[in-house]
Amino acid sequence: MKGPLEAILQDAGVWRGIDPSTTHAGLCCPSGWPRLDAALAGGGWPLGTLIELLLPTHGLGELRLLLPALCQLVVIAPGSDPRWLVWVSPPHEPYPPALAQSGLNPGGLLRIEAPLPADRLWAVEQVLRSGSAAAVLCWIDAVDDRWLRRLKLAAQGQSVLLIAFRPSARRGTTSPASLRIELMPTTEGLDLDVLKARGRAPTRVAHVFGT
Amino acid sequence: MRARARSRRTIGLRGDEALTLDLFAPLETTAAVTARTLAPPESRQSPRPLPLWLAVSFPMLPVVALSDPDSVQAVIEGPPGQQRLVALSAAAESLGLRRDLSRTAAEIRVPTLTWCERRPELEARALEARARAAFALTSFVSLEPPDTLLLEIRGSLRLFGGLEALIERALAALGTARIPATYAVAPTVRAALWLVRGQPGVRVESLAALPGVLARLPLSVTDFDATVRSTCERLGLSTIGELARLPRAGIARRLSPAVPRWLDEAFGREAQPRRRHVLAVRFTEALALPAESTSTVALWPWCTRLLQAQERFLVQRDAAITQCRLRLHHRSGQPPTMLTLERSLPSARAQEWLALLEERLGRLDLCAPVVAVALRSGAVSPAVPLEEGLDLSGRDGRAASARLLDRLRARLGEEAVQGMCLIPAHCPESAFRRVRPTWPSAAAVSDALPCTPRPLWLLSAPQALLLRGTRPWYGGPLQVLSGPERIESGWWSGQGIARDYYIACAPTGARLWIYRERVATPQAGWFLHGVFA
Repeated sequence: MKGPLEAILQDAGVWRGIDPSTTHAGLCCPSGWPRLDAALAGGGWPLGTLIELLLPTHGLGELRLLLPALCQLVVIAPGSDPRWLVWVSPPHEPYPPALAQSGLNPGGLLRIEAPLPADRLWAVEQVLRSGSAAAVLCWIDAVDDRWLRRLKLAAQGQSVLLIAFRPSARRGTTSPASLRIELMPTTEGLDLDVLKARGRAPTRVAHVFGT
Repeated sequence: MRARARSRRTIGLRGDEALTLDLFAPLETTAAVTARTLAPPESRQSPRPLPLWLAVSFPMLPVVALSDPDSVQAVIEGPPGQQRLVALSAAAESLGLRRDLSRTAAEIRVPTLTWCERRPELEARALEARARAAFALTSFVSLEPPDTLLLEIRGSLRLFGGLEALIERALAALGTARIPATYAVAPTVRAALWLVRGQPGVRVESLAALPGVLARLPLSVTDFDATVRSTCERLGLSTIGELARLPRAGIARRLSPAVPRWLDEAFGREAQPRRRHVLAVRFTEALALPAESTSTVALWPWCTRLLQAQERFLVQRDAAITQCRLRLHHRSGQPPTMLTLERSLPSARAQEWLALLEERLGRLDLCAPVVAVALRSGAVSPAVPLEEGLDLSGRDGRAASARLLDRLRARLGEEAVQGMCLIPAHCPESAFRRVRPTWPSAAAVSDALPCTPRPLWLLSAPQALLLRGTRPWYGGPLQVLSGPERIESGWWSGQGIARDYYIACAPTGARLWIYRERVATPQAGWFLHGVFA
């Protein structure tokens, strides 16, 4: 005799957040930061979905956080074509010598400038649909929920790292992103507040890396 | 001289039919002919087939070539006072007018006659347009100005199912339902040209049948000039047959040395090479809109038509383009709006171009109503047949990447899509350059890199920092973490820098790349140049 709770759990439409066996983590890319990997289902950044990083200001180490994963993603598998690392409307110039020091070839960088938010989202969608990007970093602020959903859908099924940088003020708004992380700079380094993660409970990752 | 020598040899060999026929192949070199003549007899088993010419003449071309043919009844030509009608519309013909009538005489008969001066450049263009259509049937088309096309059809007979079927197809392709045309088929060029004037509709397939047909033609169909024709008249000659019976030497002396040669060409005793018409290398076409258009949406079907016509044009030539230019003409006085579409990989397909055009047209603000649309293709390159690649997943990386870049550029502009490359330079802002991206490169960087840390964000221009006391201030006092790193460079170019760079920590937690200007100028002080993100 099954209890009413078990009957509900049998329903395929019900998704159990904390049971690792029922999560479909999909493709993941290790972030290169062990403390962060431990907090994420699948042990790394989920690929083919939308990740939202919330920051109070630019230059907190948000790129340093991503660099190990980016370096892995642009490595070409034998028999496949190289793919772009796309930056859509970054707040400043990504500085090629610094990227090269971290192991990224600036020749794989594609920078798209779109002053209008609508163009920005359109460009991200085009890049995702073309399938020729290994990672897409975009800086967006106020945006319709539906647009984020659209981007998430466009990324689905591809091994692409899609990151949307948004101001911390958007913390309270709803978002379809599979992973939402707020970056909290401290005097010693960077703390991460995982607000929403697929297959894991929200948690706080202290001191991902030091200064 | 060469022509005469060949003519003598030809006449000498007249008994051997296979050889004689060989000599009349279009544009055959003398060397090739000599080689075959000297070849052993067994190689003569399959002689090259005799060419067969279909001549199609458009007597009304001077009228239909005009931009507004319906309002004109006659086209005239000649110096003032001696103008004659060269072409008539069907309406004018039904009024009893005929060609070669003087304008004065025509106006006496039909006082309401509307006429127009002859426009040879329009006629040439109209004839060329028909030649283009003729390439659907044969690869050898020759223009015979002013109004005739010659098609070599021997090679196409079997493909199109015989002469009758081919003629029917040719007339349909050339649009003879709308524009009256006459035709004739003959095995030599000159005979075909004479027959189309003198006996339209006749089909002569063999050289043997030719003399009998040509003999009955009046001399008025020939290309002989007026002096020759009047001499013939005085001699009592009225048909080609009568002329051809006379001794060659006498004709050459009394009429013109050209006349026996022309007769030889007509009867197939001498080759008459024609120039193969070569199709234009660029597509250029304009469409006048039926009504002025103020919205770009209304332009869409016209642009589609032009791009589809361009695709047909390119496919005929097995070619593709990387650029084409669309010109939107406004009412007179306004400069036209130009839209240049570009692709990284050559393509002929209208659909690919329409995708780019969609981005451009959607964002275009028309400064004035559009009255006409013109399309001109860029330089033509050979088509790349496997543009999509053999990858069955249908996702060829290179094509997909090129398509993405083209689309982004079309909507956001050339400047908005950029790649990066490193420059070995000490000055931080000169250590990289923006480039036009083509294809991602993921190879390891071999250039010498700075050995001290560089910030991931570089400000587009250094930002002057406030000073509180002697300490630089950026939302709070900055705390220097490391430095200085002295960079001094470019003094030889007059734009030198002399800076001490430090890494500093802002109260927000951001790590900044700041420097102190060492040159004693009014701009001296502290600057923020980058952010370690």
